[in-house]
Amino acid sequence: MLHPPSRRARGLGTALLIAASLPAAGCFSLRPSQGGGETTLEGDPPIGPDAIALPDGYRIDRIASDLTFPTAIVFDDAGTAYVIESGYSYGEVWTVPRLLRLEEDGSLAEVARGGDNGPWTGATWGNGHFYVAEGGRKQGGKILRISRDGKMEALVVGIPSKGDHAVNGPVLGADGFLYFTVGTATNSGVVGADNVAFGWVDDDPDFHDVPCEDLILNGVNFITPNPLAADKAEVETGAFVPFGTRTEKGQKIPGAVPCSGSVLKMKPEPGAPVELVAWGFRNPFGIAFAPDGKLFVTDNAYDDRGTRPVYGAGDLLWAVRPGTWYGWPDFHGARMLDYGDYYDPPGRNAPEMLLAAHPNVPPEPTAILAVHSSTNGFDFSTNEEFGFVGQAFLAQFGDMAPAVGKVLAPVGYKVVRMDLETGLSEDFAVNRGETNGPASWLRVPGLERPVEARFDREGKALYVVDFGVLLQKEEKSLPQPGTGCVWRITRDPRALPGPLALSPRGVAP
Amino acid sequence: MKSSRVIAIVLGLVVAGCASARRSEPIAGPLPEVSREVESGRLLFQRNCNACHVHGEAGLGPAINDKPLPSFMIRMQVRNGLGAMPSFPEKDLSAEDLDRIVAYLETLRDHG
Repeated sequence: MLHPPSRRARGLGTALLIAASLPAAGCFSLRPSQGGGETTLEGDPPIGPDAIALPDGYRIDRIASDLTFPTAIVFDDAGTAYVIESGYSYGEVWTVPRLLRLEEDGSLAEVARGGDNGPWTGATWGNGHFYVAEGGRKQGGKILRISRDGKMEALVVGIPSKGDHAVNGPVLGADGFLYFTVGTATNSGVVGADNVAFGWVDDDPDFHDVPCEDLILNGVNFITPNPLAADKAEVETGAFVPFGTRTEKGQKIPGAVPCSGSVLKMKPEPGAPVELVAWGFRNPFGIAFAPDGKLFVTDNAYDDRGTRPVYGAGDLLWAVRPGTWYGWPDFHGARMLDYGDYYDPPGRNAPEMLLAAHPNVPPEPTAILAVHSSTNGFDFSTNEEFGFVGQAFLAQFGDMAPAVGKVLAPVGYKVVRMDLETGLSEDFAVNRGETNGPASWLRVPGLERPVEARFDREGKALYVVDFGVLLQKEEKSLPQPGTGCVWRITRDPRALPGPLALSPRGVAP
Repeated sequence: MKSSRVIAIVLGLVVAGCASARRSEPIAGPLPEVSREVESGRLLFQRNCNACHVHGEAGLGPAINDKPLPSFMIRMQVRNGLGAMPSFPEKDLSAEDLDRIVAYLETLRDHG
């Protein structure tokens, strides 16, 4: 005979449920942030591949080191590799942007150097030239054409890229156009105290996001202290306007090209017109054509920071359809930011909708990747000799917590592969250890902050550009010059599974 | 149930939560052949859960592949949310799909 549980038994059951849930719930608000940059650097960073795990049958070698903020690798027609050094890092550390030829012995020879308008974020080769994206922190973004002997000219200047994100890319399409991307000026459409703290408002008090087409606002304004005012008086700021500027319901924000959060294209000639491909991205850092000719971008999604924080938004991989709006600043993927409680920052309400009407309902993303992973440069495997043909290999720079929001463990710091047909992702190159994390966090020799993954011309080797150590001390970034490197991953029949798998798989035999 | 047994179970769950949660392919090896339900759960997990719990490891959220939580508690947490975790209503995630995710998570728990 069954008896109803006693009050004491019910109480114990409830206590058990709550207590047992705690390890899974993790008491988010009570636990400190554990981002991969939230560590210290004692002595020199550990160097070498010993801690890097790969699938059986692959090996990884470090082929260039001592680079300062490298962001990209590019191959000319002969297959010679060239590396880009950015010339700038978050943390407001300025160096010299450079294009460097990677010699067979691992040494580097300078081909060209830029000025103080970094970061240089990416490069491609075609028509006998290098094409380089100049981020444009000081003068606005540019696309540069550089000859093999280092002569440099700008194809386009003045791309609106002041603020949080830069001009990225470019890649050459089969149609002869040069495709590149522009990140947004802000996290989610509103210039706020976070942007003031980064120094953007000091640099240019008028900076704000520029939409690609006309938009009508809901007139949502946000009240924040004005750190620039002597009395720290509060100011109201709306969307798509400078800091301290109020907006009204029904207000039209005129669109323009070039614009924020966009994929653009142009013929690779000086002064050629810039055309809109698609928009409504946040920070489309990586851009690549799949073997079937479809264009994809990686999109660094919202942060839990600033005036309009958004929680829990994973980075996105998008298939780019011309003429489409991809949802920023009111959607994440195909979901509105005020839908359910998916994007509510802990203890706060859902983000309010900024736009009175949306150009279209955004399509579903190809894949959703880890929140704050900063999924950046990527490429597609095309050679059976390497394997995983048709899959995308994506470099994850890793979180910048707590500046982007709190995390309970390091996120990113690895290379993942993605099956575009299923949307399944799997780690491909990742540091060993009790938890995930960069080498400096784990205090092992391994990956630090992969920022670009690109195959050589034959598709036999995957090159991974590692930005190097970038620490986070609360909101401030502390990049470490000279800690960047380039890794090369190849299929190696000698790296066989079996008893030897007990040894670190990344070590060359 | 005696209080001491309850405490022992809870402590067991907490201690179990201290085991390594690393489950990604290069570290734990590929998942063995799994049922269609688990494979479907893997896809659903990737779409709904992986952004905060990559392969069930900690990230934005805590690790969830190293704790022997009963399946009804996983369902309860998914439906109701807890702490910073959002709630997933049935219109977004059907009961059948939630079952598949739980099946995948249990497979992931045993893998590694």
